[in-house]
Amino acid sequence: MNSNQHYERVEIVKIIFQRLLQMFLTLLGASLIIWALLPLAPGDPAMRILQSLGVTEPTQHEVETKREELGLNQPYHMQYIQWLGRLVQGDFSESYQNGKPVLEELGRRLPDTFRLASLSLVLTIFFSISLALICTAFHNQWPDHLILFLTQIGASTPSFLIGVLTLQFVVVKLGVGKVLSQGDVKMILLPALCLSVNRSSNWSQLLRAGLLEAVNAKYSLVATARGARKLRLLFKYALPNAMLPFLTVIGLGIGGIIGGSAIIEAIFTWPGIGSFVFKAITARDYPVVQGFVIIAGASYVLASTLVDITSTLLDPRIREGGQL
Amino acid sequence: MSFTRPFNPLDAAAEIETALPVVKHRKVTARLWRHSQARIGMILGILLLCFVIIGPIIYPHDPAKPDYGNKLAPPGSQHILGTDQSGRDQLARLMEGGMRSLGSALLVLGSVSSAGLVIGLIAGMSGGWFDALAMRLVDVMMALPGMVMAIAVVGVLGPGFINLLVALVISSWAYYARLTRSYVLTARQRQDVISARLAGIGWGRVIFTHILPGVLTQLIVIVTLNLGSMIAWISGLSFLGLGVQPPKAEWGAMLSGSRFYFTFAPWLLLGPAILIFLSVISANLIGNALRDILDPKANE
Repeated sequence: MNSNQHYERVEIVKIIFQRLLQMFLTLLGASLIIWALLPLAPGDPAMRILQSLGVTEPTQHEVETKREELGLNQPYHMQYIQWLGRLVQGDFSESYQNGKPVLEELGRRLPDTFRLASLSLVLTIFFSISLALICTAFHNQWPDHLILFLTQIGASTPSFLIGVLTLQFVVVKLGVGKVLSQGDVKMILLPALCLSVNRSSNWSQLLRAGLLEAVNAKYSLVATARGARKLRLLFKYALPNAMLPFLTVIGLGIGGIIGGSAIIEAIFTWPGIGSFVFKAITARDYPVVQGFVIIAGASYVLASTLVDITSTLLDPRIREGGQL
Repeated sequence: MSFTRPFNPLDAAAEIETALPVVKHRKVTARLWRHSQARIGMILGILLLCFVIIGPIIYPHDPAKPDYGNKLAPPGSQHILGTDQSGRDQLARLMEGGMRSLGSALLVLGSVSSAGLVIGLIAGMSGGWFDALAMRLVDVMMALPGMVMAIAVVGVLGPGFINLLVALVISSWAYYARLTRSYVLTARQRQDVISARLAGIGWGRVIFTHILPGVLTQLIVIVTLNLGSMIAWISGLSFLGLGVQPPKAEWGAMLSGSRFYFTFAPWLLLGPAILIFLSVISANLIGNALRDILDPKANE
C-alpha cells in the first residue's frame, strides 16, 4: 500500500512536470509566431518608428542609424533572441501613439477589463449551473423545453449583437444607465450581462448533457435503489461528476478573460484593454497590438495548463492512469 | 510525395475494426430533412440565400446610389425598408451586404478546410519531419484563442476586408489539419484500405476512393458547426471597423453605421441585426443536427 502511494505520487509529479515543459514549449512557439508576424506589416519598421517620433521625412542616414539601433541589420535568429530577451525583462517597447511603455499602458487598463470579465464569468457560471440543474430536474418537461429553446436562441446571438441592441433599446431608449460608461462601477452590470448571455447558453447546454449522462449512469441507479431522493441524487452524485469536465470549460473561460470581452468593451466604451487594442489596430500601433496578443495568449496558455494539472489532481481516474 | 511511414499489413490487420460507418450522402439529406430543427435551419438558410442571391436581381434599387434629398426615409412604398443616412435604399444594401457577410464566411471556411485538408493529408501520409513540424505548429495555434490570433494578424496587416479574411484563415486552419491527420492515421489501419493496398492499388487511388470521402464528411460537419460563429466573427469585427470599410455594405458595418441614427431611424438597426441572428441560428441548427446524425457515438 505504502509503496503504491509513493509510486502514485511520483507519477503525478511526472505528469505535472511534463505538462509544465509542454507549456514552456508552447509559449516559446507562440512567441516565435507572434514575432514572425510583425514583418508582414507594410512599410519599414525603422521608418515607422521615426515617423511616430515626429520625423515626417527622415533622411537616409537617420533611417540607417535607427535600423542599426533596432538591430534590424542582424540575422533573424539574433533579432528573435534579442526581442525575446527584452520581452522576458518586461520591455514591450513603446506605443507609437504616445511613446509610453506598452506594458504600462496595458497594465493601467487591465483592472477594468478584469472587473468586467470576472463579473461576467461569475454570472455565466451561476446561470449555466442553475439552468442546467433545472433542465435535468425537469427533463423532458416544459421547463426543460423552454430553457433549451431560449439557450438555442442565446447561443445563436453573437455577444456584440446583444451589446448593440441592449445599448440602443435599454440605455438610449429607456434611459437606464449611460451610453458612455467610462469605467463607472455602477454601469458594470449591463455589459457583464451582455457578455454572459452567449456563453451561459452554450455552457448550460454542455452541463445539461453532462448531468443527464450522470443521472442515467449506474451509480445513480444504485443511489436511487438505496433510497436517495431526486434532489440528493442531483446535488450529491450527478453534479460533482458532471462538474469535473465542466471545470475545464470554466478554466478556459478564465484563461480567455483578457481578450474575451474586447468587443463588448468597445461597444460600451468600457476603458479596458480590449477597447484599447481596437483603437491601436486602427491607429496601426503595432507594439500595443503585439503586447496585447502576448499578454492575452500567455494568460490563456497558463490557465489551460493550470486547469489540466488541477483536473489531474482532482480526478482519481486520471490520477491513477485508468481508462475513462 | 514520399510516404516514409513503414506499412506492415500484418500489424495493421490485427487492429480491431476502426472503420467509421460509411454514410450515404443521399440518406444524410433525407435524415436532415426529417430532423425538425434541421428542417427549420435549412428552410431559413435557403430563404437567406435566395434573399442575397436572387434579391438583387428582382429588386430595382441600386445599393450604392445615394439620394441626399431623401435621407433616413421611413419604410414606405418607394423604399420598402426606408433609406439610410446617405439616402441609399436599405433593402438593397441588406441584400448586397448579405452577399458579403455570408459569402465571405463560406469563402473563409472553404479556404480553411482545404488548407487543413492538404496539410493534414500530407502530414498523416508522409510522417517524418513535415508531420512533426506541422503538428507542433498546430499545437501552438490551438493553444491560443482564435480571437487573439485574429487580432494579431489584423493588427499587423491593418484594417480591411481582405486582411480580415486572411486573419481568420490564418487563425483557424489548425483544427482542420489535426482532424484530417488523425482521420488519415486511423484510415491507414482500416480493413478496406489495407485490402486495397494488398490488391496492388496505388496510394493515390486509395486516398481518393477510400480516405477522402470519409475526411470530407467529417470536415463538412465541422464547417457547418463553425459557420455560425464565422458569420458572427466577420460581422462583429466589421462592426468594429476592422473589416469592410464604410461605403461598402456589410451587415456588421451597417449595424455599426446605423447606431448614430437610432433615435430617428431605429429600423436601420433592426434589419442587419435580425439577418445576422437568422443566419447564425440557421447555421447552428443545421450544424448541430448534422453532428447528431453523423456522429458515430450518437448513433449507437
